[in-house]
Amino acid sequence: MEMQQFHYDNKIVTKFIYATIVFGVVGMLVGLILAFMFLFPNMTDGISWLSFGRLRPLHTNAVIFAFVGNAMFAGIYYSLQRLLKTRMASDLLSNINFWGWQLIIVAAAISLPLGYSTSKEYAELEWPIDIAIALIWVVFGVNMIWTILKRRQRHLYVAIWFYIATFVTVAVLHIFNSLELPVSALKSYSVYAGVQDALVQWWYGHNAVAFFLTTPFLGLMYYFVPKAANRPVYSYRLSIVHFWSLIFIYIWAGPHHLLYTALPEWAQNLGVAFSIMLLMPSWGGMINGLLTLRGAWDKVRTDPVLKFLVVAITGYGMATFEGPTLSLKNVNAIAHFTDWIIAHVHVGALAWNGFMAFGIIYYLVPRLFKTKLFSLGLANLHFWLGTLGIIMYALPMYVAGFTQASMWKQFNPDGTLVYGNFLETVSEIIPMYWMRAIGGTLYLTGMLILVYNIIATIRSGSAVTDELAEAPALERVSKHRLAGEAWHSWLERKPVKLTIFATIAILIGGIVQIVPTILVKSNIPTIASVKPYTPLELEGRDLYIREGCVGCHSQMIRPFRSEVERYGEYSKAGEYVYDHPFLWGSKRTGPDLHRIGGKYSDNWHFNHMYDPRSTSSGSIMPNYKWLVTSELDKSQTEAKMKTMVSLGVPYSEEEIANAQQQMLDQGTQIENNLYNDPDFVTSYEADKNNAAQNGRPFVEMKNREIVAMIAYLQRLGTDIKVKDIQE
Amino acid sequence: MEHHTCFHCGLDATNSEIIFDEKSFCCNGCKTVYEIFSENDLTCYYDLQQAPGSTPKEIEGKYNFLDNEKIVEKLLEFNDGKTQIITLYIPHIHCSSCIWVLENLSKIHPSVSFSMVNFGKKNVRITYNSETLSLKNLVILLNSIGYEPFISLDDYSPSKKIIDRSLIYKLGFAGFAFGNVMFLSFPEYFEVNEFWLEQYKPLFRWLMFSYSIPVVFYSAQEYFISAYKGLRSKILNIDVPIALGILVLFIRSSLEIIYDIGPGFFDSLTGLIFFLLLGRLFQQKTYSFLSFERDYKSYFPIGITKILPNGKEESVQVYDIEKGDRLLIRNEELIPVDCILIKGKAHIDYSFVTGEAKAVTKKSGDKLFAGGKQLHGIIEVDVLKSVEQSYLTQLWSNDVFKTDKEESFTSITNSISKYFTIAILSIAIISTSFWLFTESSKALNVFTAILIIACPCALALSAPFTFGNILRILGTKKFYLKNASVIEQLAKIDTIIFDKTGTITSNKNSNINYEGTNLSDEEALILKSTLRGSNHPLSRALYELLNDHNIVSLDNYQEYIGQGIAGQYKETQIKIGSAPFVGYTNENTSLNTIVHVSTNNTYRGKFTFYNAYRKGLSHLFNKLKKEFDLVILSGDNEGEKENLTKLLPGKTKLLFNQKPEDKLEYIKYHQSEGAHVLMIGDGLNDAGALAQSNVGIAISENVNVFSPACDAILDASKFNQLDRYIKLSKTAIIIIKWSFALSFMYNIIGLYFAITGQLSPVFAAILMPLSSISVVVFTTLSTNMAGRKLK
Amino acid sequence: MSVIYIMLTVSIIVAIIFFVAFIFAVKNGQFDDSYTPSVRMLFEDELVKEKSNKSILTKKD
Repeated sequence: MEMQQFHYDNKIVTKFIYATIVFGVVGMLVGLILAFMFLFPNMTDGISWLSFGRLRPLHTNAVIFAFVGNAMFAGIYYSLQRLLKTRMASDLLSNINFWGWQLIIVAAAISLPLGYSTSKEYAELEWPIDIAIALIWVVFGVNMIWTILKRRQRHLYVAIWFYIATFVTVAVLHIFNSLELPVSALKSYSVYAGVQDALVQWWYGHNAVAFFLTTPFLGLMYYFVPKAANRPVYSYRLSIVHFWSLIFIYIWAGPHHLLYTALPEWAQNLGVAFSIMLLMPSWGGMINGLLTLRGAWDKVRTDPVLKFLVVAITGYGMATFEGPTLSLKNVNAIAHFTDWIIAHVHVGALAWNGFMAFGIIYYLVPRLFKTKLFSLGLANLHFWLGTLGIIMYALPMYVAGFTQASMWKQFNPDGTLVYGNFLETVSEIIPMYWMRAIGGTLYLTGMLILVYNIIATIRSGSAVTDELAEAPALERVSKHRLAGEAWHSWLERKPVKLTIFATIAILIGGIVQIVPTILVKSNIPTIASVKPYTPLELEGRDLYIREGCVGCHSQMIRPFRSEVERYGEYSKAGEYVYDHPFLWGSKRTGPDLHRIGGKYSDNWHFNHMYDPRSTSSGSIMPNYKWLVTSELDKSQTEAKMKTMVSLGVPYSEEEIANAQQQMLDQGTQIENNLYNDPDFVTSYEADKNNAAQNGRPFVEMKNREIVAMIAYLQRLGTDIKVKDIQE
Repeated sequence: MEHHTCFHCGLDATNSEIIFDEKSFCCNGCKTVYEIFSENDLTCYYDLQQAPGSTPKEIEGKYNFLDNEKIVEKLLEFNDGKTQIITLYIPHIHCSSCIWVLENLSKIHPSVSFSMVNFGKKNVRITYNSETLSLKNLVILLNSIGYEPFISLDDYSPSKKIIDRSLIYKLGFAGFAFGNVMFLSFPEYFEVNEFWLEQYKPLFRWLMFSYSIPVVFYSAQEYFISAYKGLRSKILNIDVPIALGILVLFIRSSLEIIYDIGPGFFDSLTGLIFFLLLGRLFQQKTYSFLSFERDYKSYFPIGITKILPNGKEESVQVYDIEKGDRLLIRNEELIPVDCILIKGKAHIDYSFVTGEAKAVTKKSGDKLFAGGKQLHGIIEVDVLKSVEQSYLTQLWSNDVFKTDKEESFTSITNSISKYFTIAILSIAIISTSFWLFTESSKALNVFTAILIIACPCALALSAPFTFGNILRILGTKKFYLKNASVIEQLAKIDTIIFDKTGTITSNKNSNINYEGTNLSDEEALILKSTLRGSNHPLSRALYELLNDHNIVSLDNYQEYIGQGIAGQYKETQIKIGSAPFVGYTNENTSLNTIVHVSTNNTYRGKFTFYNAYRKGLSHLFNKLKKEFDLVILSGDNEGEKENLTKLLPGKTKLLFNQKPEDKLEYIKYHQSEGAHVLMIGDGLNDAGALAQSNVGIAISENVNVFSPACDAILDASKFNQLDRYIKLSKTAIIIIKWSFALSFMYNIIGLYFAITGQLSPVFAAILMPLSSISVVVFTTLSTNMAGRKLK
Repeated sequence: MSVIYIMLTVSIIVAIIFFVAFIFAVKNGQFDDSYTPSVRMLFEDELVKEKSNKSILTKKD
């Protein structure tokens, strides 16, 4: 078997790096805009597609899937080829992976601002895009496994194990969380309802963090840290233990996102227990990464790449310590729904993922373009700006978190809340939001410096050529010829094959499992008084989803005195049985809305939507003028109801038949209620006349979106009250 | 003149005028290697590590036996006529450069298709095309770049050792099941009657059941087997209560879920087995770069050149050598059988055998013993005995090499477990019968509960973790133990027996003193210059000793093998060597090694070589004598006797002229007297004694080169620390006893709940890991503290 | 809560896949050598490259 010459595909790596940088800037920019919206709620006044609720998912998706995702691909495509001594199996697949992924991102960037959202966190994209993601992800997996099969290096370095794990688990989780029943091309309902939807969502949500943001980057850490420091990893044995223990524990940790919710307590405790166990492997990995640099600290002082990596690993350590802490019930009781969580995720995102990505970029670009980094000084500047930015971001958010938590829970001697008005707790932390915005600006500035530095480096470099390398091909000796020999190549292929087959097996098995269970069991045990939403409320609910209200308002009152006192009776699992998808939310920038129904008049809601500050001064909620003006699209209603029926929601045939009429009646009812407000009457009549004079078409109030929204809000959480009154 | 080191091997290259690529080399060998690498642009070899290379040896004809098809076939791992795969042990592998260059062999020779290094094991696995590259040439290629593989009779033994990974599988199963079972049993800990939980209980419980099956019947099988063996041989070893506990746990749990009584103890069950196996793994510390099993096979060549009556040469397998054969021994080759020197001058180095570094010179007609190594020149010999019958090798026919030490003693754990088991069983029976009369429904419950809670997990973990950690600590101090039981044996020692040469003496440097008329500076200069030419160990030693002179190039230099060397510079000519050679007649026979010097045929004086004893020797003996009987068994003559008596404490026994068998018998005798003997030796001739003694420690100047079969290998530099190491092993036993106490405490707490019949799964699931973990922590911490005292 | 069935199945199946992968990996010796790979991955095998004159620190045993 003679030497074989082959080329490493550097072009694909470069492409992914470009994408990483571009989308990094975009994602962070959007994030920054959002940060400023806390300070200037009307920044994008009246522009529906730039409203906070719609941009928030754009930010999370852009940063997670576009920035981190592309960085991950870049790193994997670079290291995989070299660890296996072979070019990627198929350039076609590589490019499909690249362009497909970018198309998905663009699609997301368009659809999310337009309000096409499932509202499930990190899975907001609608079903056609979900399918695309699944396909592209499989392409990536096939390409990777195929490459592993035709490798020239017998041993699989630990990093590759992390890559494989990433592929398998993310595929499975994505598919199961995204099971939706389409209503139309761009609208679907989650097949799960209420509590179940919540459970699946956070099982996914947590593992998305685990297997999209963590395992691939640990793999990259095990490749790039030793490479950059030119030292073997501290303990290879530890790294193997790290991998396997992490894999076997991570899967279970999901439910800790639902502590004190309507989720059964034993399920919550389960999540807690396993989250705490996670500390050990995580820190094992961190220590292994840091100790790799033992004796190389002099290099760390001079080499920006290592600087970034070190801070990244430290950030990983902090985040993975904070995680288990947060999953302790009593800690979680404080932190959940507050800005502490925001701080937590951003330590992970900015320090761990961000700095890893930067380190990798600074490491790769000079090598790919056969040149030196344009300016070490600028890289160092970036490092310090970034680090400062992280601190400026995280610390205020921690403070904000504590402040919120304590203010929400304080009681007067007479048993009333000290800060009965939620707004007090908001205005209190505005300064923190300011500092956060500044921190974010610093971080983004650093990013822009990287952009300049990298462009300059590329200019000075030579065009990317595919690296020529040579290595002997692996002898494929069949088993019977190789009796009594440790390295059966047929065995080597086996785990890989196995992974593929088994994955397919679960998918099929899972689907078969799922469909019947859902359709049969999903709506039990109901509370007698809990009724499905009326057509108009259903439409209102979809508006609520479209505008991303869930980003700032929870619908989950936890069984604490403070929350019951503030919002009303705590939430019961049975109340959500018709919620496809669930809208519990994970953050309370504004108050919880689960018991909002009947609290305020229709007029209040009307005015509040038109200009929040008119009803509640100091509110940082943006205006939703377009809800008030634009007409409600009722064309889909029947379809939506039919879909709900097939998901187990008991709409009768005639209910669906009379949907339009019903909506009109309920709309008229609300319109009449609105007439109680003289100001409304004058302005509304004025509009009507002026439209009549200029012969412009006029949409009656009962047909506008605001009416549906009000209908839904007034309905929220009233089922139980009804019951109480009856007794 | 400025100081140079060899760019390839890092040795002193100041005086060698070999320069290539502006890089200086100590010898042509190193230069050649560099040339090979630079031709194949493999010079990164030198970037990864400074001067990583070694000088290739002169091995003309050494590997001829690899022409012999039969031999080659035995060595190969895989062979299909075209592709061949072989794993070669290469002692020189020591740094990243080694890995790099060896894995790039294919760049040097196209026929090599794949090579993969295992750094820990110091071997490389090479796949090559046998049509274009024979094994012999491969080996020569490796040697030419300074990586001479070591092929010995060992490799010839047909049984290829397959790595046993079963423990890892078992641990894997146990761990996996443990995790999942815990996951499934958690819910029932917290909240027992919740609507949804009620729905899932059956599913969860049956899942737990199915997880535990492989754990009990696969992972835990060894405990059942050893328990069974124990009972058959009427011993209550620790595995008896363990096996009992596991069995009861499993049966009771199964019954509980079958009759829907409760969740069972599957979490405790799987956890217990997981921890136990973890202990085993921890104890199983192996130094993959060492071997404790070496006998003469590891030293002897596979093939040797036989001279047929018709004068033809052919290489034969050493086992085929018969009495009367005529053999050809080349430079650097090892003599595999007892024989008589026929032709050529023999310089035999017996360091393998006796630990004596200095070569002895033999003339034709002298008897040569197996195990010696010819240093230079070619000799021919007649075989007296076949390999097995030879003086040295017949040692291995002794029974000591067939008996396994470990089986011959009962470990501290087992000795305790006897009482433990009896106690537990009686408690179980008593309390059961008590309940039978008071509340018979509870009786069975209590009985099982006792056996479950008393299952001595913590007890069984104490020893493995203590010993495992001690093993590690000593390893970092360059004292490598074969296995944990050695520590226990070491703690029992009361008699210590030392070999002399190479053990208490260092064979690196020796004391030389000169008696005679002083040499003038010029003479000294010529002396040194002359010595420099010779490779004879004595010359080297002398050369090192003499203080620096700038070397002159001699006008005339000659080496007379077996007699000495002669040099001439200007008028002065000098002779160095044996008495007759320098023309010194009235030599009174001395027991020590002596080199005589004459200039211009006038006798000047003699250099006498004395053993140099390891530093700290007498100090060590004085410390040891308090607790132990000390003996020195030497194979050599009494030349050093008075020296030793001066050096060592009075009560030390000194015995000389001991044959290998004598040493062995001496130890056997004392053991029969009830002594626990520690033998410390180095050469093959100590192998018997090392095997016979309760603990055999082999001293080694460099642990990577060979040491005979033994229980422990001690780096020579740490020789004077021996007493501390023995003390540590005693401490280990104390620690274990304490942790036993600790685990008993847990047992008692548990037993209280068990006997009173109020043992809940949660309680068991908490107590079990708690006790195990606290024992592990205790032992680890205390051993580390004890270890900190070591230097 | 029937969804628990699904999640359980999926989780356990995923876990089992990895477990099987683990067993096979151990079986074919992937984890036998716990040091060399960490050094091996540091070697660049590009043919055209400028000489790096850093030295890799290998652990001495």
